[in-house]
Amino acid sequence: MPAFLRSQMRNIAPFVTLIALLVFFGVASPSFASLDNAANILTQISVAGVIAVGLTFVILCAEIDLSVAAVANATGIFVAYFTLQENYVNIANVPLPGWLAIVLALLACAALGVVNAAGMTVIGIPSFIMTLAMMQIGAGICALLVRGQIAYAVPDFVTAMGAGSIGPVPWIVIVLAVFLLVGHVVLTYTRFGRYVYMVGGNREAAEYSGVNVKLVLGAVMVISAVCSGVAGMLGVAHFGSAQQNEFDGYLLDAIAAVVVGGTSLFGGRGGIGNTIIGLLILGVLNNGLDHVEIDSFLKILIRGLILLAALIINVYVQAVRESERGGSP
Amino acid sequence: MSEASAAASGEAPARLVMSGISKSFGGVSALRDVDFMLHAGEIHGLMGENGAGKSTLMKIIAGVHTQYQGRMVLDGHEVHFRSARDALAAGIGMVHQELSVIPDLTVAENVYLGKQPTRGGIVDWRAMVEGAREHLASLGIEVDPKARMGSLAIGLQQLIELARVLFSGARIVILDEPTSALSPPEVHRLFEVLRGVRASGRSIVFISHFIDDVLAVSDTVTIFRNGRRIVSQAAAGLDKAWVIERMIGRGHEELEESYTGTIALDSKPDAPVVLAVRGLGAGRAFADVSLDIRAGEVLGVYGFMGCGQIELARALFGKLRPHTGTLAIDGKPVRLRNTADARRAGIAFVPESRRSMLFYREPVYKNMSIAVLGRIARLWLRPGVERDIARRHADALSIRPPTVEALVQSLSGGNQQKVALAKWLSWPPKVLVLSEPTRGMDVGAKDDVVGIVRGLRDQGLAVVVMSTEPETVLSVADRIVVMKKGRIVHEFASEAVSKDRLLQAA
Repeated sequence: MPAFLRSQMRNIAPFVTLIALLVFFGVASPSFASLDNAANILTQISVAGVIAVGLTFVILCAEIDLSVAAVANATGIFVAYFTLQENYVNIANVPLPGWLAIVLALLACAALGVVNAAGMTVIGIPSFIMTLAMMQIGAGICALLVRGQIAYAVPDFVTAMGAGSIGPVPWIVIVLAVFLLVGHVVLTYTRFGRYVYMVGGNREAAEYSGVNVKLVLGAVMVISAVCSGVAGMLGVAHFGSAQQNEFDGYLLDAIAAVVVGGTSLFGGRGGIGNTIIGLLILGVLNNGLDHVEIDSFLKILIRGLILLAALIINVYVQAVRESERGGSP
Repeated sequence: MSEASAAASGEAPARLVMSGISKSFGGVSALRDVDFMLHAGEIHGLMGENGAGKSTLMKIIAGVHTQYQGRMVLDGHEVHFRSARDALAAGIGMVHQELSVIPDLTVAENVYLGKQPTRGGIVDWRAMVEGAREHLASLGIEVDPKARMGSLAIGLQQLIELARVLFSGARIVILDEPTSALSPPEVHRLFEVLRGVRASGRSIVFISHFIDDVLAVSDTVTIFRNGRRIVSQAAAGLDKAWVIERMIGRGHEELEESYTGTIALDSKPDAPVVLAVRGLGAGRAFADVSLDIRAGEVLGVYGFMGCGQIELARALFGKLRPHTGTLAIDGKPVRLRNTADARRAGIAFVPESRRSMLFYREPVYKNMSIAVLGRIARLWLRPGVERDIARRHADALSIRPPTVEALVQSLSGGNQQKVALAKWLSWPPKVLVLSEPTRGMDVGAKDDVVGIVRGLRDQGLAVVVMSTEPETVLSVADRIVVMKKGRIVHEFASEAVSKDRLLQAA
């Protein structure tokens, strides 16, 4: 393999996968390749996509955030808790003006991110364990607030963003596009973004260059939590209800989108561009499998296999690079 | 100093005889036609500078290096080990400077590592604890076998590792720098144990930079220089100066790189103190370090591996939090909570390992700009400015290839080191701390680095150069302090200094 191709393997493999999936489903199902369905796919990936933007920051730093779905769920329920619910909903909620509910919800998810950050940087808990605990804490907050009930009402603005559309374009897709764009700009054109890549590329070297590594790590955890929170609010509006365990599938989807897209689990390589491809692969796969005649239980297995293949490529590319570098330390 | 007198232990039979041993690494000769003899019941001290060949010889004995020329005869039989396991099975064990004990297991488990006594397939704890207690007591080591290894003092851990090696059946034990981390009472206790081991007829090779320690405990000493065995001699009656003279030679051997002349130190005792270090201490690493680091002066810190200078450098850069003592910059006390604090205070650091300084998969310009990014860009990056600055440094330091887009992993070692230095130079710091700045470089690259450091000094920077190589310190320093076991033991200022005086002090 030529050196250039090998060095771009991380970016090429996901792109080829996406094209292959598009061609396959386009041929296999007449209803797949339509403009309507394209809009469908974009809408379907929006909630996971907003989570994945924050997660991209975390994974670029060679950390992980397992609490994204739980934080999303908790934030969605939180915003509903401060919105006046219908009489038949038995939740002791505290109605507040819509804007205040949104601000409180944003503060709440940021606070959860700060707890993650503090656990990792002040106490020194590995992110895998810290966010595993936060996953449970998020689920606990959800349970306490709704007590097994379902809430339906969220502030009007959230409803508009999550379920409304402007002309033919759903607002939720626009929100996703904005998050992706801002994420990309921050990672590529700001000093903070450079620090994220450098901390992920060689944490020790970043520290010896006078970069406040703990501050960067803390910041990416808060960014991840806030993205999750926003996704949670959009999600409850999109689904039309706020309840426990509503976002459980999104943890895997968000991680899969980032990793399948080619962002290195070892940090320092990849970016929002990769995440976009990863999201599209996941979206096309989920949507396409609905368009072809396939056992719905088999879908889960197929998704798992695709994720495994992406992980193999991800780790393999890293191994190739390491062995190339081995000769000249 | 003839061969005959080497057999100090009289008629003790030769346990290990090596003859005509040569070994080279990729064309570089590490050992040249070396003869070496170890008797039963002997403590044999091995001395020489870094790279003199003593470690290479021991690695051949211990089965680590398997390709070499020459013959090795153990107890009258010619042997050629294929692996360290081979050597161990033949009764040759090694205790490294970095201990390989398992801190979370008990003393008994460490002693019995890999061969716990079992009864019916289940570990027989009682037998293990009793066995370990007996074995340790037989060596004169008093310790609770049920104690957790990590809770013990480092000197005791080392004795237990020695006990394990002996317990595994070793008749020859090689100790690499065993005293570098020990306090004087611990050294004394180690020597007692070693004499006991000798009395049981086993042989010990004692490799150390600490000449006094070697002379205190050895029956015989062998001195290496530039891959050759210079002399083997009974240790009784030798003094340190005699050993140093043979270690560094007279300067007329082929390929001699040693400094033998004297260097006049051009210290500047009146220059303003930029960084004042007072009573700095951190755990076992170093204690009570006080230094004045002055503008326009290069302070050399010399000491053997493990003397605490690596940790001291990190404490000066906020990477390691000292437990006691204070730092003051330009007379104002500073507290460094992290490396970002140190950078803001005007301190720069280049660690000894380039791996922990460089981003290999990033281009040269990003590697150079990382430390000064805050000055170039507040929020938005300015890649044009980054490239301009990088290009200036690449020219000034003649970095090859001369493009700042090249990935650092594609550069040679010397050029990588220049990149690591260059990252601090766009906005020169007040204090530059360099750890082993020339390690592993060829002569030309070394000269380049020395030139760069001198240039920075002449601009008024305060520079600290930490090294375990006397040449590095001598070639660049205006003032030298010597560290030994975590403390500053000597200072050379405004006087003539030579390598042997430096070694004497350490």
